[in-house]
Amino acid sequence: MSITTEVWDVDEYAAAVRRALVGLGPEQIEDLTDDLEADLADALADERHNAHGRSLLEQFGPPQEYAAELRSAAGLAPVVVEPRHRTMRDWLGAPFVAMRAGGDRALATLRGQSFWPPVESFLVALRPFWWIARAWTGYQAAMYFAGATTLRWLPRGVLMWVLLGTAVVLSVQWGRGVWFRSGALAWIARAANVFAVVALLPVVVSLQGQTQSWESAYNSSGYGPVQTEVVYQDTPMDGVVVDGMQVSNLFAYDAEGNPLTDVQIFDDRGRPVRTTFDNGSGEWFFPETQEPWSFVSRADEDGRQRWNVYPLKGAPTSEFTFADDGTHALTGTSVPSIPPRPFAKAPALDAPADSSVAADSVVPTTAPTP
Amino acid sequence: MDTTQLLKGVLDLAVLAVVSDEDGYGYDVVRRLRSAGIEEVGDASVYGTLRRLYSSGALTSYVVPSDEGPHRKYYGINAQGRAMLDAQSKEWQEFAGTMGRLLGTEAVR
Repeated sequence: MSITTEVWDVDEYAAAVRRALVGLGPEQIEDLTDDLEADLADALADERHNAHGRSLLEQFGPPQEYAAELRSAAGLAPVVVEPRHRTMRDWLGAPFVAMRAGGDRALATLRGQSFWPPVESFLVALRPFWWIARAWTGYQAAMYFAGATTLRWLPRGVLMWVLLGTAVVLSVQWGRGVWFRSGALAWIARAANVFAVVALLPVVVSLQGQTQSWESAYNSSGYGPVQTEVVYQDTPMDGVVVDGMQVSNLFAYDAEGNPLTDVQIFDDRGRPVRTTFDNGSGEWFFPETQEPWSFVSRADEDGRQRWNVYPLKGAPTSEFTFADDGTHALTGTSVPSIPPRPFAKAPALDAPADSSVAADSVVPTTAPTP
Repeated sequence: MDTTQLLKGVLDLAVLAVVSDEDGYGYDVVRRLRSAGIEEVGDASVYGTLRRLYSSGALTSYVVPSDEGPHRKYYGINAQGRAMLDAQSKEWQEFAGTMGRLLGTEAVR
């Protein structure tokens, strides 16, 4: 017989025994074989001790026979289903029985696959996590039905922790098979288990949704991580910038260093150079003024508003009012004036060649052409 | 004579007797049966018997966590099991006595 040549380890042998118990419910199989691996391992260890060194197969025979022995000793000879009067309970229970039978068949099919035993033992090892998860789900459901408006991932307050702790103890004790083994309680526990399976996903999803809305509220309230807004501009900002700072006004001086007024500035393509684009509504601060200023435009001979005539004239913003049409205009008595100049007179050009100013600056040798 | 056939009838009694001494887990019960001289008992028979006695309410069961090995399910006897043990051991004594007398008259010693 080829099977005797195979070397079986404890897990394989136990899995084969479970496969051979097909026809029993998973709980019955679990009941019969929950300690099987440990018992087999103990038996093997004793065997080695006795120096016989027989393999599991030699010691116990084919797994099918082992299973048959286990089954008959447990009084689980092939069960004959006797037709009996259908009660209300049967009617109500029929869908569950059918579901369960379907589950049993699926499990039996899986247990027939060679890949399944390691997967199953892995899943069995994960059961404690499920015990905790279903306790937590039950706690959340209890909170929900108790009328809690917002669910939280973890309880707040001693009472809530006690509630969750109780749920965990109940769940784990049942999972370990210590409590709720008698009929009615076992049914309640099973129903709770099914409920937890169904409710886990909705609970997690709704908590997730809440958490996200909290996070966005938290972030927008400024307590969240600071988010630097990076703006990429394809075109440079309009206006005049000196040393990274936007310029509000320009002051022109002639060759002798005397201040000029009403200087029109254009760029190399004839476009007016503007420093402000607020059309008089903005407020600008200068180094030596206490209150902000606003600027006014000049009208050219064609009646166009010109903002490239420097220095821009203006007045403290308090002297402006908003006209009925929404424009920012000076009150009747105020007259626009030139804001304080940075200096009354600039250094003159065409200084003597030995002056310190000329030493490090390029001095045009010819007068600029008009 | 095949003692396994004999054993089938009294395995419940033997297991109850072992467990009534001291609580034990599956293989522990097997070991104690063997050391008591019941060599031919099959492991699976003992496990199945323990399970059946538990289902019928003659034994209690509890899981003992273990640090090094797997958790073990221990079985202990309860009042119902003790009553069963008493009744069956009385039956056995009577039966063994009957058999002894029967064999004593016929066997040549």
